[in-house]
Amino acid sequence: MTDSAPVLDVRGLTVDYGGRPAVEDFALTIAPGEIVGLTGDSGSGKSTLAFALLGLTRGPGRIKGGSVVLEGTDLLALDEPSRRERRGRDIGLIVQNPRGALSPLHRVGQQIGAAYRSHQAVTGAQAAAHAVDMLRSLGLNDPERRASAYPHEISGGMAQRVLIAMALGSGPRLLVADEPTSGLDVTIQAQFLDEMWRTVRKVGSSALLMTQDLGIIANYCDRVVVLQNGRQVEDAPTRSFYAAPRDSYSRSILALRKEEALADATPSRLLEIEGLRKIFPLRGSNKHVQAVDDVSFSIGRGETVGLVGESGSGKTTVGRCILRLVEPDAGEITFGGASVTSASPAALRRLRRKLQVVFQDPFDSLDPRWTVTDILAEAIDGKSDKARIAELLRLVGLRPDVADAKPRALSAGSQQRVNIARAIAVEPELIVLDEPTSALTPLARIAIIRLLRDIQARLGVSYLFISHDLNTVEHMSHRVAVMYLGQIVELGTREQVFRSPVHPYSKALLGAHLVADPSRRRVDRTDIQTLSGEIPSPIDLPRGCYLASRCPVALPLCRDQPQPLVPAPDGRLVRCTPAIASLKQVMH
Amino acid sequence: MSEVLELADTGAVNVAKPAPSFLFRLGGVLVALSLVLMVMGPWITPYDPNRPTFEISEPPPALTEIPGLLWKVITGAPHDPIHWFGTDSSGLDVFSRVVAAPRTDVAIAVGANVVSLILGSLLGLLAGFARPWVAGTVMRISDLIQAFPVFITGMILVTLAGRSNMTIVLTLAFLYTPIYVRLTRAEVLSQRNRGFVDAARVLGKPEGFIALRHVLPNALAPSLIQASVTIGFAILMTAGLSFVGAGVRPPTPEWGLMIAASANELIQGEWWSSLFPGLAISLTVFGYAAFGNGVERIYDR
Amino acid sequence: MLNFIARRLVVAMFQLVGLVIVVFFAIRMLPADPVARLVGMNSTPEAYRMSQQALGLDKPVLEQLRNYIVGVAKGDFGRSWVSGAPVMEDIRNVLPVTIELITISFILAFLVSVPLGMLCALRPGGVADTATFTYSLFAGSQPEFWWGLLFIYIFFAMLGWAPPPLGRLDPMSTPPASVTGLITVDSLLAGNIAAFRDGAHHLMLPVATKVFVLSGPIIKMVRQNMVRVLGADYVLYARASGLPPWRVALIALKNALVPALTLLGVLYGYILGGAVLIETVFSLGGIGQYAVRSVLAFDYPAIQAVVLVIAAISLFVYLALDVIHAWIDPRLAS
Repeated sequence: MTDSAPVLDVRGLTVDYGGRPAVEDFALTIAPGEIVGLTGDSGSGKSTLAFALLGLTRGPGRIKGGSVVLEGTDLLALDEPSRRERRGRDIGLIVQNPRGALSPLHRVGQQIGAAYRSHQAVTGAQAAAHAVDMLRSLGLNDPERRASAYPHEISGGMAQRVLIAMALGSGPRLLVADEPTSGLDVTIQAQFLDEMWRTVRKVGSSALLMTQDLGIIANYCDRVVVLQNGRQVEDAPTRSFYAAPRDSYSRSILALRKEEALADATPSRLLEIEGLRKIFPLRGSNKHVQAVDDVSFSIGRGETVGLVGESGSGKTTVGRCILRLVEPDAGEITFGGASVTSASPAALRRLRRKLQVVFQDPFDSLDPRWTVTDILAEAIDGKSDKARIAELLRLVGLRPDVADAKPRALSAGSQQRVNIARAIAVEPELIVLDEPTSALTPLARIAIIRLLRDIQARLGVSYLFISHDLNTVEHMSHRVAVMYLGQIVELGTREQVFRSPVHPYSKALLGAHLVADPSRRRVDRTDIQTLSGEIPSPIDLPRGCYLASRCPVALPLCRDQPQPLVPAPDGRLVRCTPAIASLKQVMH
Repeated sequence: MSEVLELADTGAVNVAKPAPSFLFRLGGVLVALSLVLMVMGPWITPYDPNRPTFEISEPPPALTEIPGLLWKVITGAPHDPIHWFGTDSSGLDVFSRVVAAPRTDVAIAVGANVVSLILGSLLGLLAGFARPWVAGTVMRISDLIQAFPVFITGMILVTLAGRSNMTIVLTLAFLYTPIYVRLTRAEVLSQRNRGFVDAARVLGKPEGFIALRHVLPNALAPSLIQASVTIGFAILMTAGLSFVGAGVRPPTPEWGLMIAASANELIQGEWWSSLFPGLAISLTVFGYAAFGNGVERIYDR
Repeated sequence: MLNFIARRLVVAMFQLVGLVIVVFFAIRMLPADPVARLVGMNSTPEAYRMSQQALGLDKPVLEQLRNYIVGVAKGDFGRSWVSGAPVMEDIRNVLPVTIELITISFILAFLVSVPLGMLCALRPGGVADTATFTYSLFAGSQPEFWWGLLFIYIFFAMLGWAPPPLGRLDPMSTPPASVTGLITVDSLLAGNIAAFRDGAHHLMLPVATKVFVLSGPIIKMVRQNMVRVLGADYVLYARASGLPPWRVALIALKNALVPALTLLGVLYGYILGGAVLIETVFSLGGIGQYAVRSVLAFDYPAIQAVVLVIAAISLFVYLALDVIHAWIDPRLAS
């Protein structure tokens, strides 16, 4: 690169949204070939900023002032037709929720072609061929068939690739990516970001990557910019940012990286699951979805067992079976010696006091018409015991004036605290936590994790912690089970699974996990074991090992024989014959 | 630790309500007026709505005369009989009849909607919550009722059942119930899988309790919004049925009947006996529509 | 797709049969007495019984139903107790009148309302938008029979622009040969321009009233759809990709009009039976007016046939629209 003039030079950008400033006096420069990460909580103005860089606003937004100089020309000073020319051609954008960004009535190949034809003088047929080529270069097999699909027929990961094909079609010098991987599975996210990184580097363009995930920034970005309430509060090279953040907000979001010791757990077996199986029939056909297949594990008193996996792993269904929100098809679940699966309605009602739940969506879990007092009173059996309610609120770190509020008036983090208060109100012995922090901002996430650990230390309650977010699982769990397509593929202590995973899927999952440490960047490592292709559908499962078609170390026997869950020499359980065999060899 | 907690918001936040629009307020006024007249109409008429006066086919006072007449009424000065809206060809005072009609028109419309809303939402709850065969039966019957042509079926039922106000209420209730069943069921289906419903189950609450205390109150909003608009339609239908002779029996004061009775005189120039009842329908139904629209906007925020 | 159509047709058939049976029973279970109405209140018991026999009402209800169904299977829907003519013949005369009125009104209402609704959506909240929206709210809540009378008073009695509301044509003129039953179409087919103009002249006010009332809900619906689509993520993203404005507009239009289709079909089916009032006011002689006459005269065969015919047409229109919708919108095909 010979020219050192910045690709993007933003100064004093101010955007109003509905009368209030969403972005205030924002400044940023991006050099050619540089990848800059932008982070901030939701409400910080990231999305508004992303669109404003193209001179666009959503609905009630207005760009009030500033300049966005893209390769020497100020976009905001141009007239609209000239701006439109540059959009897509010189600056590309990909957004969160890719399926929502595509017209539901047009095929995706057609939409890619339309974006291409807006800047290149080509015929319809040439544009269609270009669309297919772009999809192929982005790693999709059978691109012709994919191009003729409609947006509702493709997965989130595929839809995001379609957006990239639209954004990068004419080779823009700058790609703006607004939370491109939110909602994608861990391994798909890693795959996608690798491809995006490779494409950007190959073409020599720059990128502005906006995300709340500090792991993504540490692994892919050269510089970090922090946005809070529409203002820029930090701008530093990645390594120095992670080593020594200057701003207090930055410091708090990096807070949860240090190892913290967990409370002690007793070796007793409070909850035991044996051979759990659940099948969901598909309406309109005689096929079925194998959600849970032969799952067995136990949870001790005061212990947290983490259940990790991607979509289709069945981890949520396991939680729902334990709570009997869904009836298992086979297997035994015992709690404190009493059977859960074959409990009578009366026995089940008694058991329900000891088994509680916290769900993923904090607002969805609260009746919007009830006040916090009503919600908690329902849990302590209808009596409006003010003292007890006040104590519960204090336990979960909420101010007493929250008692008269309705859910809509609370932030997501506070709503989740109310859910936790309701769960501990009946003094349960075990709480099933189903993705309790996935819908929260990083700051709220950290606070809730700390709260959950605090409660476990004080009340001695056990947790089944279900999550796809490996960071939080690592901080919460004594033991961890990794699930894939309804089966447990590895079950061991936290140290065993996170430090030295043995099963090929665990290895890939943990390899895809982006650690917030720039000294261990994924793009620099050469030893990464990746899985090819996508997660197969849980409807037509193969005969032998479910991972065999994607596994880098698959042997012929893997495809034919179903793999049993077998103890390894170090005490953990693994469902992979070749992996156990090599472990035993190492041991000897 | 406290630093983190401070930055993570743990208190309550004020949620501002939007200001009601002009249409909403206008609609509210008209709705309130119609309800007041429904209750008090027959008590405040200057003349007996069913007794002919001596003035036949008398036009309403000219605009220039009105201030003078008003002054006479207020001061209690003696004056000739005043017919603000004129009289029809039978000598009946139009103003009294227009003001007395809501006792019939609005009462029928409101009554029918109350019945169909209660019935429809309970059936909709059943169709959304109960076992498949129960739900299926409810929906098939509801669909069947909706396949009937509304106005003609209304005519048939009312005429053949005897044209009393009660039959009109029941007929309209019957025809409108499927609307509420459909709205409530759709809402129940989406509410049924929400987290707070599962949370109540995990707390050990019985299904019936959950259905009535959690699901139904959250599923009523679309029906309540729809009610205002449907009351307006019910007024239109009552007037229409009466106009063709398949509704309210004369000589009850009813807007549609009044228009039908004076339709022939219209061409001969007697415009007031058809204009004022029609204007009453026009403004009242518009009021209900505007009010319903305003409620919908507030709910959407 | 064919599977879908076949299944829906079968369901529609069942619905029709159900409807006819329900109407059959309902009108016989209601307290009205058509026999008394025909022979008068002071008739002798013998005259009453004879009349009852003639109408077939002396037999048990189930037997009546069986006879009726047997008749329908042969194509015989009974004779009107008022006109004496076969009911289907009556209906064949009156139905085209209604279809003509409704179809012309619908097309015109559409041509006026859709562009208005779309224009409003371009600047929501603006002066033009608020005014048009208020108009649509107003128009959709009006008593059409009253407006019909008002139009007659203004345009016929006062201004003399419209003919007297006595039917579809000047009573002195001869109607064109009946091919479809629609005056406008038939007169054009026969090359009879005078009849065409006369027919159109007589349709002027009824159509204007209908268009006025229809424009309300259509504008509201088009505007609502358009606002939703214009604010959608995919429109914003299309602009961000640099698509030229006309391409963006096409995307928005397609997405806005497709869901409007089914709603339109519902409207059309609904107003088939709702033409009653306009037909009565303008004495057009369509199926709506026929229905009124039949109901007031307790003419059971006619009532049953009217309900059957209108329901059948509505169900057919809904089905056709669902098919078109499923064809255009790929989300429904799966």
